[in-house]
Amino acid sequence: MNAIALAAGAAPQHVFGGGSFLLAVLVLAALGFGAVRLTARRRAGSTKPDSPWPSNPTTPTTPTTPPASPASPASPASPAPPPATAEIAPSAPPRLRRVVPSPDAGWAVETDGLTKRFGSNVAVNDVELRVPRGSAFGYLGPNGAGKTTLIRTLLGLTRADAGTMSLLGIPVPAERSRALARVGAIVDEPRFHAHLTGRQNLRLLAAARGGEADTRIAPSLARVGLADRADDKVGSYSMGMRQRLGVASCLLGDPELLILDEPMNGLDPAGMHEMRNLIAGLVDEGRTVMLSSHLLDEVERTCDAVAIVDHGRVIRQGPIAELTRGAGTVAVQLDCAEPARAKRIVDEAGIAAGTTLTEAGLTVTLPQGSSRELIADLNRRLVGAGISVYGLQEIRTSLEDWFLSVTSRLGDPA
Amino acid sequence: MTWALIATKHLELRKRRGLVITAALLTTGIVVLVLGLRLIFHLTDPASNGPAGSPDIFSSLSNLLAEFGFLVAAAVGAAAGTTDLTDGVFRGLVITGRSRLALYLARIPAGLAVILPVIAVAFTVLCLVTSYAGTPQPTSVSVNSVPIPANFDQAGLQGWIRQHPQQAAAAFLPGPAGPAGPTPSSSPAPSGAAASQPINVLYAEYTDDEIAGSNPAVNEMVKIGLWIELEVAVGFLAGLGLGSLTGQRTLTVIVLIGLEIIVTPILAAHVIPYFIDGQRLVVGVALDQLRPAALEAPGLSGGGGPGGPGRVLFGGRGALDIPLMPTWAMISVIVGWIVGWSVIGAWRMMTRDA
Repeated sequence: MNAIALAAGAAPQHVFGGGSFLLAVLVLAALGFGAVRLTARRRAGSTKPDSPWPSNPTTPTTPTTPPASPASPASPASPAPPPATAEIAPSAPPRLRRVVPSPDAGWAVETDGLTKRFGSNVAVNDVELRVPRGSAFGYLGPNGAGKTTLIRTLLGLTRADAGTMSLLGIPVPAERSRALARVGAIVDEPRFHAHLTGRQNLRLLAAARGGEADTRIAPSLARVGLADRADDKVGSYSMGMRQRLGVASCLLGDPELLILDEPMNGLDPAGMHEMRNLIAGLVDEGRTVMLSSHLLDEVERTCDAVAIVDHGRVIRQGPIAELTRGAGTVAVQLDCAEPARAKRIVDEAGIAAGTTLTEAGLTVTLPQGSSRELIADLNRRLVGAGISVYGLQEIRTSLEDWFLSVTSRLGDPA
Repeated sequence: MTWALIATKHLELRKRRGLVITAALLTTGIVVLVLGLRLIFHLTDPASNGPAGSPDIFSSLSNLLAEFGFLVAAAVGAAAGTTDLTDGVFRGLVITGRSRLALYLARIPAGLAVILPVIAVAFTVLCLVTSYAGTPQPTSVSVNSVPIPANFDQAGLQGWIRQHPQQAAAAFLPGPAGPAGPTPSSSPAPSGAAASQPINVLYAEYTDDEIAGSNPAVNEMVKIGLWIELEVAVGFLAGLGLGSLTGQRTLTVIVLIGLEIIVTPILAAHVIPYFIDGQRLVVGVALDQLRPAALEAPGLSGGGGPGGPGRVLFGGRGALDIPLMPTWAMISVIVGWIVGWSVIGAWRMMTRDA
């Protein structure tokens, strides 16, 4: 069964979360991005790698995972047709992910060999980063990985020791003022004068920006929902309100690029929801939002593309859908009678990469790149053997699973 | 640097209520308190309590304003130089793309616009009370207990000495019993002896006693006010520069208090052989040389140090024991402190990691 057929509604009978519409969007996104990549490759000549991002190391595999299929994203022949793994729809995708815009429009952030040292500690290590314009881009890494240092270096808050960088195509630090005039940023937590009101703090920043920034104070406050509290002292603001005020300060310059460092820090679930919507709204307006975070789930919900950083080095980058596709194994949680016998049947059939008995029943790990038909086949075999199947649930490979598999938390990446 | 940037930096400092209130209390508050009490005492019991204003009170409060003004200005300067850093706003300002130099320079007029009016208000109150609720201007000047008509210029004094040789001798050439003698005639001096002295020396002694016994004229008050404001401005710029350098307000204030109330008095108290030029590099010594003639130095009854008649510039004269330095050297020291601290502060701001 191909992806188009699935999108048209030919859904299998077994239990899967998510609708065909969502699946269609994801498939179209993958198709669109693949087409963009193909176009870019044709324009640049076939000798160039097909991905606009710097090449990623080979996706790590677990012992139970068979070799990557030809449709793996690491393969240069993969862009046009939808990869087989796309046929397995995630049970609950976080949101409708946008198609990552074409890099033909240029990169919002571009670095080459960027390095920043603090003594013997290399906080930013030869970073080659590409942030596509008009997207929400996550800069993801564990605490101490060098996320904030990279942002500080990009913004000229500290000097780079080596490498080149540009913001919106403008080289920095050579033309830093010109570049930053079109950039809004929050580094670490947003900080303000506690003895001044929100509006007065924005006046201060607007005066520093100059131009028409002063006229954007009221709209910015309204945009982040702080118009009613604008004349209260910032000292009385909650963390969430300060975060929102930080975003308002970013909007003073009507920026094309927003760089937000850990924007979800300190926010309660409602605040996170608001921030997510705010970021989505900003991207929908055509702005680029680059955010750093160690909250994988939030990045997955918010961003279209990510770069994974560990020990100062970018180890992967690209659209989330592409990075997670086939990066890990696909598993099915079986709720059935006689799980031990079911395990034997599956093992003897040789259709699974691995099986594990759990308290909930049986977890069947499918070979990478398996189609949904394999899950239906699994179901048929068990039912045919007289085992009552109460439920089948796909365990989706999340960004978190993938992240943990590629960062040094679980061993040496790749 | 734009007007809007200066205005918002001024707002940022002005809204630091604690700082501004403390500055006002230590300057205007003290002046108002002292003069207010004296006004009340005088009104309730004029026979026992003299008028609120007097030359002594004027001198004391003016010197206090200069001293406290320097310290308060240094504290305001330190706040201006460190507030953005300690509040974490410096980073946000740098991200705007605005030149760091412009951000630093905007603090100078903004901070001065906070502290100079506070001192101006205090000094204005002092001048008003001295002028309108002070002792009446004397008609004569008592020089070694010899009354000499007031308001003489140098030629007028010379003429009076020629006309009153014996009184002049008693006034300017007192014998062993001179100053304590009951009358000038009780300690006669050789006729014409006073007239043989250089008139500028005699005139300086006459003006010293005239200043000590009378309220300063309006033009002298203006000079004194400007001199105090100069002290305040230097204190602010030193605080701003040092604050920007260290990034720590408390440390900056402690260092400048130490400079003003420990280092400067020690270096100004006595001439240290072979280190006189080093002593002159202390801004307090250079500023003292600009001290208006109408303002007595604290603790000096007759005013004027070894510099004696050494009027320097704008009617100034040194009141300390340090020999006067050339005018260009004095100006160089003051300008050096202003420019030096500003350059250091700006340099640190431009190179600091945000």
